[in-house]
Parts: sequence; C-alpha cells; structure tokens
Amino acid sequence: MNLQSVKYLTKEGIKNIWVNRLMSLASVGVLVACMVLIGLSLLITANVDLALGNLEKQNVVMVYFNDYNSVLYGDKSDATSSETSLTSSDATSETSSGDESESGTSSSAENKVDINGISENDYIIHNEAEARALCAQIEKLDNILSVEYVSSEQALSNIKETMLDGKEKYFEFLDEEYGNPLSDGAKVVMDDLSKFDETIGRIKALNGVDSIVSQNDLAEKITAIKNGIGTAGVWIVAILLIISLVIVSNTIRVTMYNRKLEISIMKAVGATDSFIRIPFVVEGVTIGLISAVISEGFVYFCYRVATETLKTTLGTSDIVTFGSMAWILLLVFVAIGVLAGTIGSVIMISKYLKREGSEFAAI
Amino acid sequence: MRIINISDILGKESAPAIEFRGVSKTYISGTHALEDVNVRINKGEFVFVVGSSGAGKSTFMKLIMREEKANTGEIFVNGFNLTKMPRKQVPMLRRTMGIVFQDFRLIPTMNVFDNVAFAMHVIGASSRKIRVEVSKALSKVSLGHKARSMPSQLSGGEQQRVGLARALVNAPDLIIADEPTGNVDPTMSYEIVNLLTEINKRGTTILMVTHDHNLVRDFKHRVIMLDGGRIVADNMGGDAQ
Repeated sequence: MNLQSVKYLTKEGIKNIWVNRLMSLASVGVLVACMVLIGLSLLITANVDLALGNLEKQNVVMVYFNDYNSVLYGDKSDATSSETSLTSSDATSETSSGDESESGTSSSAENKVDINGISENDYIIHNEAEARALCAQIEKLDNILSVEYVSSEQALSNIKETMLDGKEKYFEFLDEEYGNPLSDGAKVVMDDLSKFDETIGRIKALNGVDSIVSQNDLAEKITAIKNGIGTAGVWIVAILLIISLVIVSNTIRVTMYNRKLEISIMKAVGATDSFIRIPFVVEGVTIGLISAVISEGFVYFCYRVATETLKTTLGTSDIVTFGSMAWILLLVFVAIGVLAGTIGSVIMISKYLKREGSEFAAI
Repeated sequence: MRIINISDILGKESAPAIEFRGVSKTYISGTHALEDVNVRINKGEFVFVVGSSGAGKSTFMKLIMREEKANTGEIFVNGFNLTKMPRKQVPMLRRTMGIVFQDFRLIPTMNVFDNVAFAMHVIGASSRKIRVEVSKALSKVSLGHKARSMPSQLSGGEQQRVGLARALVNAPDLIIADEPTGNVDPTMSYEIVNLLTEINKRGTTILMVTHDHNLVRDFKHRVIMLDGGRIVADNMGGDAQ
C-alpha cells in the first residue's frame, strides 16, 4: 500500500466520523464516561495511597537497646505498651534472662554489676556513641525511612511531659532510688509496611537490639487496605476497558452497516482486506483520541471541584495534585482510546471481510 | 500460489479470457446450481449469457468473480487458476475485470467523479492519474459534463453509464455486466449495449447477462444459454436466437 492510499484512507476514516456523527457522538460520550471513571479511580487510588503512606510514616516502631536498663527492668513492652512486642533472641539477651534467676538481691551500677548480677561489660550498648552507631546500622537496612535516636533520659522526660502531666512528684522515687529505668532506643519508620515482618527480623538480628515494640496489626491492616484498593482498581479498570471495547465495536458495526454498499463495491473492484479495514481503524482510533482529550479535561474539572471542596470543608492539604497525575492520566486515556479503537474495529471488520459482494449487500 | 498463465501454455492467440472445465457447483442447501459446465470464452469476445431464473447464470458469474468456489472442475480467468487461488489473491484477479451491476451500486454520498475515482483509489493510483483516467472514462460514456453531479441527480441510464465508467476506468481485460439494462428504459438499454460493443471493439472481453431477447437478437454476439445448471446452447457464430 502506497502513501497515496494511506492518505486517502485516513481522510476517509475521519470523514466517516462526520458522516456517522450521531453514532460517533454517542461513542465518544460513552467512552468519555468510561475514561472519566477510570481516571477518577486512579486519582482516588493515588490519594488513598498517599493517605496510607502518611499513616505508614506515623507507624513508629520503637527499638530498645541492650544497655544496662534493659536488663535491669526486663522487656520494655511489658512496661510501656500493651501492643505486640518482639523480644530479641540474641545471645546476650538469652544470657541475661538466664542469669536472672541466679542473681542476688541488690547491686548498683557503681560496682559495675547490675541487679541481675551482670557485669557492665556484658552489656552491648554502654554509651550514647554506641547507641548512635547502632542507629546508623538500623538506618542502613533495607526499607528503613528514618531512624531517630531516643536516649533513656529523653524517653523519661517525654513520659513525664505527656503521660504524667502534673504528677511528676509520684515518680521522683525513680530518680532518687532506682534512677532512670528506661533504655536507650530508636524510633524507626519503615518505607513499606508490606515488608514489615522481614524488616523487623533484620532489626532484631542486629547485635545490641534488646526488644522491639510495634503496632504490627496496624501495619497488616494498612497493607491489606492497600492491596484491596489495588485489586479493586484493577477490576474496575478491566471492566471499564471491556465496556469501552464493546462500545467502539458497536460504532464500527453501525458504520460498517451504513457502508456495506461501499465495501461490496470495494471488494468487487479488487480492494485488499487492509484497504477496507484502514478507514474503520482510523475512525475507531480517532474516536478514542477525541474521547481521551475530552476525558482529560473533564477529569481535571471534576477533580479540581472535588479537591477545592475537600480543602475548604475538611481543611486537609494532603491531596495528590492533578498536575502530578496529568501526564499519566492522558497516557492511560490515549492508550485506552487507541486500544479500544483498534481492537474494536479490527474484531468487527474481520467478521465481515470474509463475506463476498452479494452476501455483503444482503446484510 | 503460482499463477498459471493460460497464454503461456496455449500460446497468446488462443489464450481464453474465461475457461470452465467440467465445473459443478452445489450449494450447502443442496441446490445443484451448475453441472459439468465446459465453456471457453476467448479474449476480445462479446458474449451474452441468457437463461431463466434459477438457470445458474448468477452462479456462473459468481464463480468467475471468485465470490463462490466450484466443487469440481477447473476455472481459469484472465490467466488465474481460480480453483487453487488463495483468498489473498482474489483482489488481484478482480483488478483484471470491471463489473457492472444491475442496480448500479453507486455510492450516494459521492459525486459522479468520486464514484468512478473510487475504483482507482482501491488500486492505489496517484491523484494525477486518477484525474486524467476518470475524465477519460466519463468522456467515453458521454458524462464528462456531469462529473460533479450526485447520483440522485441522474437518470437510471446515466447512473448505469457511471457504473460502466467505473468498470472501465482501470482498463480491465474483461467486463462482466450483470443485467446492466435491467433497470433502464429500452432506448437507454440499446445505448448501453452500444457502449459495451464499442469497448469490446477496442479488445476488451465482455460477458453480459441479460433477459432482454431483443438485445440478444439485435446485437449479433455469441450467446450462451443456461438451463438447469447446464449449458444448453452456445451459438459461437453469434446467430442470436
């Protein structure tokens, strides 16, 4: 097929859209509706992802270090949280709990032996420098977004400020008799909560980690919601794609019916299958592209109205901007339009191309 | 598929435009449309095909255009062996023939010029060639002045002449006219057959199906008569019955 024919057939395809303008308009309308729904689904998914991402960042995992206090007071999860706790299984921890039963009643840090009779040298973390080094080790692990060192003093001060507001005097005995019972630790934020368990496992494996307090049920819920939304999104898009395909196929079918005389003559004078097919494909693809552009504008308008309303009523600013999604959406719409146009027209015309002149005229 | 060129086998002079060798066609419904048809139409002949309804005329034409395939026998048209021809090759066969339909089959949304040009677009002709050849074809049928008219503005005879111009425009070796005078008045019928005769004189083979005995009688051409799917008469000398 030469350039002359391609030009002629492209012109014919575009002319057909105008000749069958009512049907073309109906197709563009339904395709736009499908594309807008797909676009809004994508935007909603992106916003839910953003919100869950923010939630993930707030899901702080507390890692306690194996320092003097951790052995003295045992597992911090028992003392500070009712949430799930993971106790380190490293050798030091096991040694310390094993020695607990054998220990005497009193001891102080001065003689370098703690309440459990363990020498200071048996602890892994002895000072802030070592604690910060361990933080740096955690930070280097995969799926770690941030690590914030929390000294035992800072932890105690936080508790006093937040939990014991105005009742500090009840806890003065801690400073006077036992000192600060809290361990040094780190606030860890993960990047992806779906890798929660394996990340916790890696942190636990580090030498110097005593225990981990986390909200793993929240992590599971967030991951489940994300997966659920992802699956729902795929189904919605798939169903709408099929609808788009059927719509374009039907337009082509009507066009084909309207042009059966032309096609029978084409065949009689020796037109090849591709010569007959091209105008229909051009028509389908053009309808798809027009729909894509209209959908982009429509989604922009709808999204703008929705986000402005949300901002004014809820005062939230954590919303995905249209600009950040504009190209992706346009690409998706164009891909849908071109695919639906091409596949729809090819499927429909292939059925009729096998018919011969008089059979075609008798449709 | 290798195209068997009859002229290569039999020599240029004796090369037939159409040859049926023991051709039979039975439709899936069980209707025996043609039975053991043997016929040879040489290049440059003008042949009328006559017969009553159901005689097999339509099937005969469909087999030549390769709209249908024969059950048995062999068919050669313009050097193509239709029996072994794959579907992909059919457009090439049809480009060697021009077809005139009883119901004109003009595209109502196109003007006269575009209707004729349409046949040239199909074969990928250039715009310049289309302009020249379409004008020539319209002049041959005396419709050069109506190039911009729409089919609805033409009489039946004029519409059929546009159909004839369309069949002519690609300079085919063979013109198949399926009752071209069926929808026009007697005067115009004679005019159309005169035109076909003129075209035939320039070397184009003409195969025309008709029910009009006056035409067959007045134009002294070869007549093939079909009845019950068989050729019952073939006056190769052109003595009309």
